[in-house]
Amino acid sequence: MKIIGYTLLVLVGILLVIPDTSSAIPAFARKYGFNCNMCHVGFTKLNDFGQRVRDDGYQIPGQEGREKNVFQVAPPISMRTSTGLMVSHYRKSMSSSFTINGLDLLAAGVMHKNISFLVIYTPRIDEPAGDYSGPDDGANPSQLGGFESANIVFSNLIPDALNIRVGRFEPAYHPFSSKRSYYLLQPYEVYTFTTPNNDFVFDDNQLGVEATGHFPVGFKYGVGVVNGSGGNPDINNAKDIYANVFQTIGRGDGQTAGQRIGAFGYYGWQPTTRVGWYVGNEGSTDGKNNVGFYRVGGDVSLNWRTFNLMGLIMTGKDDKKLNEDYPNADYEFTGGFLRLDWAGLPNNRLAASAMFNWVNYPPSYSRPGLSRTGSGLVRYYLGDWTAVNIALHAEYTYREVVGGDEDHSAAMFIDFDF
Amino acid sequence: MARVWFHLIIGLLLLSPVVFAEEPPVPPITTSTSYSLGPVQVGNLSAAPIPPGNPQSGAKIELGKKLYFDTRLSKDNTVSCATCHSPSMGWSDEGPTSKGIDGQRGGRRAPPVSNSAYNPLQFWDGRAPSLEEQAKGPIENPVEMGNTHQAMIQTVGSIPGYREEFLKVFGTSPVTIDQVADAIAAFERTVVTTDSPFDRYAVGDDGAMTPLEKKGLEIFNGKGHCTACHWSGHFSDGRFHNLGVAQTDPSKPDQGRYDVTNDPADMGAFKTPTVRDAATRPPYLHDGSEKTLEDVVRLYNLGGGPDDANLDPLMVPLQLNEGEIKALVAFMTRAMTSVNPEVSNVKPIPQSELPR
Repeated sequence: MKIIGYTLLVLVGILLVIPDTSSAIPAFARKYGFNCNMCHVGFTKLNDFGQRVRDDGYQIPGQEGREKNVFQVAPPISMRTSTGLMVSHYRKSMSSSFTINGLDLLAAGVMHKNISFLVIYTPRIDEPAGDYSGPDDGANPSQLGGFESANIVFSNLIPDALNIRVGRFEPAYHPFSSKRSYYLLQPYEVYTFTTPNNDFVFDDNQLGVEATGHFPVGFKYGVGVVNGSGGNPDINNAKDIYANVFQTIGRGDGQTAGQRIGAFGYYGWQPTTRVGWYVGNEGSTDGKNNVGFYRVGGDVSLNWRTFNLMGLIMTGKDDKKLNEDYPNADYEFTGGFLRLDWAGLPNNRLAASAMFNWVNYPPSYSRPGLSRTGSGLVRYYLGDWTAVNIALHAEYTYREVVGGDEDHSAAMFIDFDF
Repeated sequence: MARVWFHLIIGLLLLSPVVFAEEPPVPPITTSTSYSLGPVQVGNLSAAPIPPGNPQSGAKIELGKKLYFDTRLSKDNTVSCATCHSPSMGWSDEGPTSKGIDGQRGGRRAPPVSNSAYNPLQFWDGRAPSLEEQAKGPIENPVEMGNTHQAMIQTVGSIPGYREEFLKVFGTSPVTIDQVADAIAAFERTVVTTDSPFDRYAVGDDGAMTPLEKKGLEIFNGKGHCTACHWSGHFSDGRFHNLGVAQTDPSKPDQGRYDVTNDPADMGAFKTPTVRDAATRPPYLHDGSEKTLEDVVRLYNLGGGPDDANLDPLMVPLQLNEGEIKALVAFMTRAMTSVNPEVSNVKPIPQSELPR
């Protein structure tokens, strides 16, 4: 059976090579006439140039006010999705399914000099519209989609040193963006790890206000105040705070050149009492009796030629009142990942990556104490000099919870945007 | 908590004037609207912009061509425009920097005249807003032609053949410096190169470029980041960037655009040159410090030169491998070299055939 499954994967891979390339390009590339790899190592991962454009509020550094705004270009709307075949092996049973792996509808651009925006709408696509039978249907019946991002950026309030982002955004305390990771199956596990009785997910985009800045010496910072759960409304009336710093040694931003080290910290409050989930005038719920939790960590990104080694370690601690298993002890965990990316072929047409994730949490608790994941992927990009915006994507991941389950997943996707 | 929010909101309100305040007036970067907003995709060149105050005519272009090749514009009758902007050297010279009267050498390389009509500002530091203004500069420059406008006008005005042609073109007498500049600029606006393999490829001739050159174009517009500055049909943004090039003489640093604007952000910044026909005019950069196109690519691959003082934020190491460097150079060498006969066949006018 396993042989049949992998044979099927190869056949699907061959079929995926057949589609014509698209000449369409995403909104930013379309605006500038750039190939995707101007800003990306290979989409979706940003290179140093792309990172600087993002840091400058989606403006090319040094050209603020001298590039087209949203009123001078075609509607800056883009789409990204991936579709393909996924095979899973879990508890000695194998399953396979053709699948659509998410859909992002993006709009972004410069509105006026130093004022820009980003909106990402992610409609629910887990079943065809014809099957939808109302709010009682499906696993997440309360909504049919959501805004992954919706924010305005006020850039260069102090040139380079102060930029303000307001709305829902990917917070600066993510040293490595999970939203722009090559991996489609395997997230950064420590980002998505949740602790008992705490709604906070490190990986979530956040609602709030963030200040960021960068300096010619290679130093960057970010500080923010956010709801905490990524939700709207907030789950309590206490806001969470965070800060992060980076220092890059050598030229570059640590994405594809330069060596970068960083540290980050997040402190939040989580309610232990919720009565009726009443939404108050301020948009917060009636969550009360807040107790604290934190996440702190360090990260490093090392570059040599087209190799990029990323490492992150994070520790978290929730107040014991949030520890439903052992209420007399704080809930503590540690986790991280090591990831090695490589890009090859002219214009980085080929990308490969290997990653190891782990999360370690108290083994005496009811849940097993260590998860380990090994993943690998290869992406090959199609397109021409105007855009390489179609990726043939093969990914494998093996995950085990020590003393518990283990599972394998493999997938072949075609990932594209325009 | 409410107090914290109150102060945060007040703080943001105080910051708002910074965002919404009327921006300080910035000098226009160009008279050509095509350069006011960008980047835009590389492609074919549109018609060269002609300023309303200096319309083209056949007689004016012909007069300008004669003046362009006439060494009598210089103080000692040894240097013409073509001395430093020679058609046989890609409308520049052998470099590394240009040589004027008495063998004096300037501090910068001669920018090419070809396609200079598309530059919103002229000279490496953009100090001249038009080709007409640019044409007046070298005549008075003591290192270049070493003349004065008055003396040059007297010389040109004393030549009957020129007097007759100026009268025919401009309808007035005597000859003025503005007329000389207008005529030279009119000729320079005809030096336009539009027919390269890339131009043919851009309009659908798939065989016009080799596979290696196509790879080079893809890298040029992608991983190489070249089109971040070398954009549009002109392959130049007409703007100014500091590439971190080491000063030739640190005791007399060339401050580039800063000398014009006094803006610290412009310190050491020089105008982006066009890539069109670049292979015909080595060496490269404002000081001619890079001998070959491959040297230039290698400089960019390192993220620029060694001077970090005011490095342009667009300069980052590119991580190009040898194959990618080779492809980029191939694209810039053959695919960007034009074969326009009206430009490539321009021959200097012998001094004996100039007006007497």
